[in-house]
Amino acid sequence: MHYFFQRFVFSLLSLFILTLITFLLSQVVPGDPAIVAAGPNAGAEKIELLRSEMGLDKPLTQQFLIYVGKLAQGDLGKSWFTHQPILEDLIRELPPSLELVIIAMVINLVISLPLGLCSARYNDTRFDSLVRLFAMIGAGLPIFWTALILQNVIGGELQLLPIAGRLSFEYRAFEGYTGFFLLDGLILGRLDVFFDALKHLILPAFSLSLLFTAVGLRITRTAMISEFQKDYVLLARTKAASEPRIMFKHVFPNGAPPSLTVFGMQFGWMLGATVLVEEIYGRPGIGRYAVKAVTQSDIHAVVAVVLVVGIVFLLANLVVDLLLYILNPRGRMDK
Amino acid sequence: MKICNLLASAFTVLSFSLAIPFTATADVAGTLIIAENETPENLDPANATNSTVNQLLVGVYDALVQFKAGETSVSPQLATDWQVSDDGLQYTFKIRSDVKFHDGSSMTSADVVFTLDRLQAASAAVLNDMGPFKSAEAIDDYTVKMTLEAPFGPFISALSRIYIVSKAQVEPHMSDDNGRGWLAVNAAGSGPYSVSTYKPTEVVTLNAFEGYWGGWDGDHVAEVVFRYIAEPSTQLALLKSGEVHIAPDITVQDKLSLMDADGFRVDIGAAATPLYFQFNTSSDGLVGDASFRKMLAQTFDRKLHLDYVLQGFGTMPDGPLPPDWMGHSTSTELPFNMAAAKELVDQNGWAGSTLKVRYLPAIEEEQAAVEQLQSNLSQLGIKLEAEGMTWPAQAATVQDLDTTSDINMIYNFPSFPDPHAILNTSFNSQNTGYNGGYNWAQYSNSEVDALLNQAASSADQSERATLYAKAQQMIGAEYPVITVSLPGSVVAMSSAVKGYRYSVAHHQTFNYMDISVD
Repeated sequence: MHYFFQRFVFSLLSLFILTLITFLLSQVVPGDPAIVAAGPNAGAEKIELLRSEMGLDKPLTQQFLIYVGKLAQGDLGKSWFTHQPILEDLIRELPPSLELVIIAMVINLVISLPLGLCSARYNDTRFDSLVRLFAMIGAGLPIFWTALILQNVIGGELQLLPIAGRLSFEYRAFEGYTGFFLLDGLILGRLDVFFDALKHLILPAFSLSLLFTAVGLRITRTAMISEFQKDYVLLARTKAASEPRIMFKHVFPNGAPPSLTVFGMQFGWMLGATVLVEEIYGRPGIGRYAVKAVTQSDIHAVVAVVLVVGIVFLLANLVVDLLLYILNPRGRMDK
Repeated sequence: MKICNLLASAFTVLSFSLAIPFTATADVAGTLIIAENETPENLDPANATNSTVNQLLVGVYDALVQFKAGETSVSPQLATDWQVSDDGLQYTFKIRSDVKFHDGSSMTSADVVFTLDRLQAASAAVLNDMGPFKSAEAIDDYTVKMTLEAPFGPFISALSRIYIVSKAQVEPHMSDDNGRGWLAVNAAGSGPYSVSTYKPTEVVTLNAFEGYWGGWDGDHVAEVVFRYIAEPSTQLALLKSGEVHIAPDITVQDKLSLMDADGFRVDIGAAATPLYFQFNTSSDGLVGDASFRKMLAQTFDRKLHLDYVLQGFGTMPDGPLPPDWMGHSTSTELPFNMAAAKELVDQNGWAGSTLKVRYLPAIEEEQAAVEQLQSNLSQLGIKLEAEGMTWPAQAATVQDLDTTSDINMIYNFPSFPDPHAILNTSFNSQNTGYNGGYNWAQYSNSEVDALLNQAASSADQSERATLYAKAQQMIGAEYPVITVSLPGSVVAMSSAVKGYRYSVAHHQTFNYMDISVD
């Protein structure tokens, strides 16, 4: 438990430093939010008035302290441009992105874990070469390019899956409780909505996951190869244990930790990369929200997005640590 | 094809459910779906200067007067008629007595006064173009008097962007932000459509308002849907699959190819949005010298830009005003002439100098224009450094003369079709970048200012035309800008769309209230 407490304090500290860095960076990046807020032909007087209303005339340290003070009370502030509490904006934008990342992660795990294990088992065979070729291609394709090609071929030419959006047009008025349409579909017993949302997720999620899957696959393969060379595998084989039993019962649990650590980090990276597929597939989400905020110099909104992505990143890593702890009881003694 | 079937059945259900309440003479049915690449910030009429906000509001709210799509002069909307005092300082409006807001309340002059008071209290961007507007007061229930600090010729035109809100609806939500938070996500208008869904990064849905005071003669759609699709190729795919009817942001090449394709139409609106290279006329460096600017002014091939970058969609400019506008003076800017420029460079020994241009690389035609200028200048031995920026960053650099680069690219989007909105914005010294305006050439000439101010305060159109013509000639003689292009507003749409007309007073919007879909 002491270990987890330590991790928690460390995470809080990381978040604080992240906030500080983002806040400072957003000040260094040129751009004046007051000019944008004042609109065309505003005149210097009005810009100055807005600058002081927005608190931008205060010294940077004071601005930062005010911001952190509000943050400590759970107040992310108001967006200068949507005039809404940023928290509300994020509650609307985060679920579509998280849904996308979760499905992409499922695709990632379903492909890279079994393929990694098998290609390690059949190391240096033709099958292994094929898998490595796939990983190499996957790692080399830029996300936006994959997304465009899949959209044009599978969505546009073949019309097998939708081109864009989160739901089909007839569901445009659909409102759920959570903002996660897959979950909302299930909660409300609307399987039609569930499957429609899933159909809209396949191409974007696959485009987003390909690069990460390639990396996950290589890491899993490498970790498993070294496990297959260990003495306990030799012992199990001499005791005539079946090959599936060796693979799944012995090698997999022992070789999984390095991959799990990477998958945990990939979750956060994916969330940061959603904008690439969100723009192409016309999906709402935190990536598009962030881009808009950056182009308008909506500093508080930008910092809030970075903070939320940071929290998700840390949470994903905490979950992975917890999983490793459960998988490997020896960890308790190490710590 | 399955999608089309689903859409068709959705239309049928919708048109059935929504068409019933309307009168038998009108046909209000079907759905119009518009793709848009940029998401709206909010729904607040205070922000109607922003086209992504304005395109939603233009049919949700009414103004006292309005430019109908395709027209360049105002028509009465909520006002029936108006009188201007002899000194030009007081405008008295008679307003309609039969107008109902979407909440059912009736419009009176109290709503008009409340609207303007709120905009003033909120330092609304939309008031920037209202000139010396001072205050509004209700004379009786249907008479409003507006007072100006100085006469302002285009005042009536400027009112077309002042959308009247329902006092009864907004007042309870004023809180400490002048109702900005509430109006950002709610609407309180009297227009033909009301907002039914507002998901600003995904979809905005408008529904025809049954009790619209203007009635529903002719063909209209029952529902308008804006879908936010950033990627041009996605907009094209959706247009082709029938999932959107209007796709304004596809590439020029794709627009060109759709011109001859069955089932599609490409509309070219005579937009009046000049794109400039503005030279820092107040610079201590070379661009501060008018003879150097005379050389620069001849180094850009507008025809090449129009033919290849804009694929012919646009008007060839010879000065900042569109050629067919009141007051346009011909050939106030020098034509492309590299030989003449070369001669000036040789005479003055300017070869070897370095200039900097700032621009928005996200705008394709700006990027292309910068590349052309770079290449032409390098032939003269002048190096042009290009610095791409975001809008807020570029706007911040011109706040100060010291940080203003030699050349800036900027679009001028006039908020109403009047020479004032282009010439005063781009060349009056009151509007220099360091004064918080869009005259990024930091151009200051007291005689030009006097002409522009006199034209702005006059109500006599022929006098104004003469003054503007004179101002353009004086400006042209000092070479503060190259007007790169007057791009057309090119919008691709399904041929099922009927009634679309480009609106010069509401650039980058769609007259969805006049459109029907077959």
